[in-house]
Amino acid sequence: MTQAEQRIVVDSRGSFCPGPITDLYKAYRRANVGDVIELLATDPAAKSDVQAWARKTGNEVLEIVDEQGYIRIVIKVLRKR
Amino acid sequence: MKHVVIVGSGTGGTFAANLLAKQLRSRIKRGEVSIELVGESDEHVFQPANLDVALKGKRPERYVKRESRLLNPLVKFYPEAAEKIDLGDRRVYTKTGRSLGYDYLLVATGAVADPSMTPGLEEGSLNFHTGPFNAARIWEKLKGFSGGRVVVAVAGVPYKCPPSPNEAAFLLDEHFRKRGIRERVEIKLLTPYPRAYPAEAISEVIEPLYERLGIEVVTFFSMDSVDPKKKVVYSLDGEEYEYDLLLAIPPHRGADVIIRSEVGDEEGWIPTDKHTLFIKDYDDALAIGDATNIPISKSGVVAHLESGVAVLNILSGIEGYGEVFRYNGRINCPMELGYGRAIFVSATYDKPPEPQKPSRIKAIMKSTFSRIYWKALSGDLEWIFKLFLGECASPTNGGKTVTLAPAR
Repeated sequence: MTQAEQRIVVDSRGSFCPGPITDLYKAYRRANVGDVIELLATDPAAKSDVQAWARKTGNEVLEIVDEQGYIRIVIKVLRKR
Repeated sequence: MKHVVIVGSGTGGTFAANLLAKQLRSRIKRGEVSIELVGESDEHVFQPANLDVALKGKRPERYVKRESRLLNPLVKFYPEAAEKIDLGDRRVYTKTGRSLGYDYLLVATGAVADPSMTPGLEEGSLNFHTGPFNAARIWEKLKGFSGGRVVVAVAGVPYKCPPSPNEAAFLLDEHFRKRGIRERVEIKLLTPYPRAYPAEAISEVIEPLYERLGIEVVTFFSMDSVDPKKKVVYSLDGEEYEYDLLLAIPPHRGADVIIRSEVGDEEGWIPTDKHTLFIKDYDDALAIGDATNIPISKSGVVAHLESGVAVLNILSGIEGYGEVFRYNGRINCPMELGYGRAIFVSATYDKPPEPQKPSRIKAIMKSTFSRIYWKALSGDLEWIFKLFLGECASPTNGGKTVTLAPAR
């Protein structure tokens, strides 16, 4: 039996660096390969930080959406020990 | 009679107990108010000195004193671990079976650095976050270290004293240079953050220094495990780094009593209003310092400054000020850069840290604080901190402003 892929929503709105990256780091610990992490953030630096994180760790940013008053970043976990 | 119970006798709990005892001196003497402090033991450790013990060879005994001698005599102190906190029934139970009812509760139970949370870390690393005597093991190891790979690695976030991994890297460099063996040692910092220090303005100051000193910084490092036999540290995404000496910043969690009492989140951090410091959904219970889930430095200075705000809110309830006081999020964390220089990471909720020049004066200020700490805990030196750090509490209604002053 394979484990169903899960969607982990992380709400970092209102928190500034390193808040969003800290929350993403924690979500990544809980996640499995194939899972999707949806990070909600108000810190504009979250965009570039998460993209750099994905490049470094071998995971994929599926989309970055400017919602009303916040940013929604969707990440697919591709690499995890 | 109004009962104030404080759980936790670290920096925040001790400051709060002493400040309350000063402010409520007459009421306590008249039997109208009691201040009761529950602490794990009668030991009080000046935790920032762990770094000096680990990397400068200071004696650990210097930084441990008896809590009972640091407290205002009007505070009733129970040096026994808290077993359970019941926010609904307004009661704290201790391991010895004591049951304390309260009108106001202040939780200052701190954070626990727990190497057992990462596989292999306990056996494979040394650290200066689990007390001065464990920090002394680092110094013992360093003295006999003749060359190889030294890795400073952050194993989890959040952790106590955000500048401490950087300070460790810089002080290691200084140590090996002074011994004339720096070229035989490779120093590496593994951090989960996007840069050497989470705040960009501070990173801009220290990254050139890392480069100049030849210390490699590996960013976005998420520690998975350590193999103590092979001496390898692994990341979640498959990176691995060999080491001869691993100095780890262990993962942290909330205190056992918080986890047992189910008043924290999944990691044991207490959901707390970052301004008023009241525990979520309660108007008679507050939390300060490392114990909270507030996204701010877990550090002594924050515990200290928050204790002042929490005390004002407890006083407001007891004295009927009709105000709720708000913390402005002030932090002021020193970061040693080696060779007697330091900077201060200083910010509030609304004002991020700004770049600054490293200086000797700042390093002297840091070491001066370690000397006045024990006296400061009495609450008698609050005016100095106010002068240096400004007002950290403001009344919500803009009405009564209260200044904590030493009682006569």
